[in-house]
Amino acid sequence: MEMLDRYLQAVRRHLPWLRQDDIIAELRANLEAQLEDKEAELGRKLTNAEMEAWLKQLGSPLHVAARYQPQQYLVGPALFPIYWFVLRLAIGWCAVIYAIARTVEIVSNGQGPDAIFGAVAQLPWVLFINAAVVTLIFALVERSGAKIPEKFVQGAAMGNDWPNAPVTPFDPQLEKAKKPKSYAQAVVEVIFGWILLVWLLLVPHYPFLLMGPGVVVLYAVPYQLAPVWWTFYWCIVVLNAVELTWRIVDLLQERWQGPHLAEHLVKKSLGLIPLLVLLAAPGHVLIVLKNPADTSHSAGLAQINLDLYRACEVIAAIVILQLVWTIVKVSMEAYRRRLAAAR
Amino acid sequence: MTLAENLFENLRLELRRGCLTLAVLAQLRQEHYGYTLRKALANRGMEIDENTLYPLLRRLEAQGLLTSEWREEEKRNKRFYKLSPDGEEIFARLLKEWNDINTAIENLL
Repeated sequence: MEMLDRYLQAVRRHLPWLRQDDIIAELRANLEAQLEDKEAELGRKLTNAEMEAWLKQLGSPLHVAARYQPQQYLVGPALFPIYWFVLRLAIGWCAVIYAIARTVEIVSNGQGPDAIFGAVAQLPWVLFINAAVVTLIFALVERSGAKIPEKFVQGAAMGNDWPNAPVTPFDPQLEKAKKPKSYAQAVVEVIFGWILLVWLLLVPHYPFLLMGPGVVVLYAVPYQLAPVWWTFYWCIVVLNAVELTWRIVDLLQERWQGPHLAEHLVKKSLGLIPLLVLLAAPGHVLIVLKNPADTSHSAGLAQINLDLYRACEVIAAIVILQLVWTIVKVSMEAYRRRLAAAR
Repeated sequence: MTLAENLFENLRLELRRGCLTLAVLAQLRQEHYGYTLRKALANRGMEIDENTLYPLLRRLEAQGLLTSEWREEEKRNKRFYKLSPDGEEIFARLLKEWNDINTAIENLL
């Protein structure tokens, strides 16, 4: 019996912490009953060797305990097709972006074959990390999906109803307004939100990610961005991080169907902050000279700053008008619902 | 194990998986604890490995298809399982499905 106790102790170590006692008590009762049957059949106690053989036959403690784990896979069959699609997309685009980025870097810096070999050798790691991050995100989604299986299955089965199209003419605007966001859409939005954030964080180190081959112009012109652009940039990064966090929280709390009105308005309003940062630039200076002593470009610089500032004012005006229009629409919709409820 | 044997084994396990649930639900129309359930199933030709059956019972209970209670029997505390009202309904539907599949296969052969 001591050997059985040791076996059960080893199983317990690998069991889910909250259910250990219950599972072990049940397993003990079943195994002891089985042992009694064996001994009754033999008419004697099992020898140590027989006992050891029997326990070995039951399976290793790790293997036995694993069967009691609620989930034994990272990405389940329902989510796997989307995972596989996104993984291929992410790896493909990662390889393309990496190849362009490193090529531009090598060409613009005039680096030799060593840099090319280094870039090629680094590619598998870059792809591996990319795949690991995508897998991690899907594993998290899978875990949250396991808690809400009915919605998870609906989300995974996206597109299954396509042959049953409505007989009325298709109205994309109406459809968009009425149809809640599916689980799969919300998952894809989170993934692309993450990719966008990573891309944003890489842009200062690899400007060609934003400008492509045109980045050489940046090195050729005598101007550079004023420090206020750093504040602008970090505002954009923070806004995207907040947006991504918001989406993940919505997903985990089963609220992915669509943003609430208040949430929508808050996001729109926050979007104004980076523009206001530019409009508040000291002396309306958005571009400065790389070499402040170079007076030959001073006149052109003043005109560029003026034009850029005017452009920022126009964009800010458009964004404010959009915000006002959204508030009007939201208010009208709320009024319409109140009237409908009153009837 | 050859490739063909491996393939057969995978397909066999796949085929058995759903049947095991149906067999367990069928047997649990009467109350059992883990070991006696395993013996009862084996006596009727449905051998199930301990490591498959005991966790399966917990999963079915978590899904609301079984109810369980701890009770002392023969000076030992045991967990007894029985089909819940939801389990009875699901079992009846699964049984119909099983019979339909069986008839269809017989028609095909």
